[in-house]
Amino acid sequence: MLYLFLTFVVLLLMVTGTRGFTLLFGLGINIFSIIALLILIADGFNALITTCIISVVILVVAIYMNVDNPNTASTAFKTSLLIMVVILLITIPLEYWASAQGMAAENQDELEGFSLAAGISYPKLAISIIVINSLGVISETSVAITSGLNEIVDNKPTMTPSEIFDDGFSVGNKILNTQTNTLLFNFFASTFPLFFVIHSLGYKFTEVLNDKLVVAEILTTLICTIGVILTVPITSYLVYQKANKKIKKQTSE
Amino acid sequence: MKKNLRILLLVGLIVAFVTGLTYFDSFMYHDPVIKVQQVKQLDKSTSTDEYKNTDTQITQRVIGRFLNTKDKGKTVSFKNTYYQSQLTDTKYTVGQQVILTKSGHAYTPKNVKRDTTLVFTIGLVVFLMYCMKFDRRKLFISILLNVIIFYGFLNIIIKTHNSVLLPLTVITALLISAVALLVILGPTYQALMAYSSTVIATTVALGLSVFVLSMSGYGGVHVELNDFELQPYKGVFFAQVIFSVLGVILDETMDISSSLIEMKKELADVEEATLFKSGINIGRELIGPLINILLFIVIAENLNIVLLYLSNGNSIGYTVEMTLSLGLTQLLISAIGIILTVPVTSFIASKVITKRVK
Repeated sequence: MLYLFLTFVVLLLMVTGTRGFTLLFGLGINIFSIIALLILIADGFNALITTCIISVVILVVAIYMNVDNPNTASTAFKTSLLIMVVILLITIPLEYWASAQGMAAENQDELEGFSLAAGISYPKLAISIIVINSLGVISETSVAITSGLNEIVDNKPTMTPSEIFDDGFSVGNKILNTQTNTLLFNFFASTFPLFFVIHSLGYKFTEVLNDKLVVAEILTTLICTIGVILTVPITSYLVYQKANKKIKKQTSE
Repeated sequence: MKKNLRILLLVGLIVAFVTGLTYFDSFMYHDPVIKVQQVKQLDKSTSTDEYKNTDTQITQRVIGRFLNTKDKGKTVSFKNTYYQSQLTDTKYTVGQQVILTKSGHAYTPKNVKRDTTLVFTIGLVVFLMYCMKFDRRKLFISILLNVIIFYGFLNIIIKTHNSVLLPLTVITALLISAVALLVILGPTYQALMAYSSTVIATTVALGLSVFVLSMSGYGGVHVELNDFELQPYKGVFFAQVIFSVLGVILDETMDISSSLIEMKKELADVEEATLFKSGINIGRELIGPLINILLFIVIAENLNIVLLYLSNGNSIGYTVEMTLSLGLTQLLISAIGIILTVPVTSFIASKVITKRVK
């Protein structure tokens, strides 16, 4: 694994040059934040609150360190925070409703020898899992849409709000397609072993449909998709607001 | 506007109807399904385990009414014991629908009925898509085709007992990326360009990683610790890498090649070397965010098991080695693929574009 890591670093520096150091530094901070998150939750801190705080840190790193244009970065950051709140609001009732937390009969081999009375709230952790899963996708989507829209608005400052929204959707269309692919293919990657095991356990179709792990995986993918979809109107609105302020300032001067 | 509103209303109604249908579909179940009417807490005991974790074990009596089978309408009650942390057990609440199994004369809970939540969430995604001006048809077609291909893939690996896992994964990966590209870009030369870049970058990244890993004899990589310890270990390991990195690389290569095409259209006399250089510059910006996407997915997927290890008195180092090292190795291979895509796409795109776009 060390050799693989060295290969990664060498290739990264070859392709990105000095920027590679910034990238590695950002990745380092993210991994450090995640380890802090793990230790805090294992020590009994509230999983939801800890996740929210660490997520904000991660979003700051992911957006401000990767985006050079401060205008784009601040809009993308605001969007990501809003989306995170929306994801929480959707996930909390859905997880409560589905009670798809923790692990299940399929994990029996992994659970052997463990004390299951761990004192950690796994229903809360299930919500954290979805939020963390969405962080990368959300920050990338918001940055991509914001920078695409800002470029259009800068070139044509006299745009009407409905034009901004139209352009937001045409930029968003492509990003929605590619992000859905990313999420879907990752769903394939993580679930094909699960489906294989489920088959060997002889589940019926209705049992698969209600299976805790299957439902948890599908919910994660779907909720992340909802996050990506909602990024488009929220970004468009924020960009429109900013453009509006600028115009007002210019006319009052 | 009015027409939009009508479509939206129609979609909303269909979603609500289908969700409602799954709420009342218990007659389709072979196992008895109940709706929980009343829950009484019988016993509560707090215990501390050897790792100083305090948890509360609660026994509840659950009273519910049958929704199907010949006992429909009758009430039934059973005891349920759970830990407050609910790692593998479940707390039942009033209003929930629960699937039971009959053992002898007694009923025991088997599973929470989750299909309503599932269908509702799918409906929510569809409804949100209709709320906005997205090009939905293309997206739905590509998702549908890819799910069908994945379903076929699953069926074949199950029938062949995983023996042809890797070659089949490669074929599936080639198919689903072709579908994704054809649906997004259409049968254009850009799609072909993106396709060849994806294939080459992924192949080189995998080949290089296999070489580097086997040089160290897979030291520090516990391929046998995959989810459910599914065999063949290495096959499952690389199949997961291929699937998870594919979407990200497609995204990257499309971004780079479409920017280069735009550039060529604006500056007709741009040279091949300049195009290549701009490709690298554009790609550089993409690497960080794309690695981040996969990093958080890897962490999130393993969060349950990581915390189980940590709460059982294991050190963070041992926990990471046992639970995350496999995912992180997969992430490194993916990251190498993401990096290699930049020069590969820039090279192919700059060559093709100078010849094709006039």
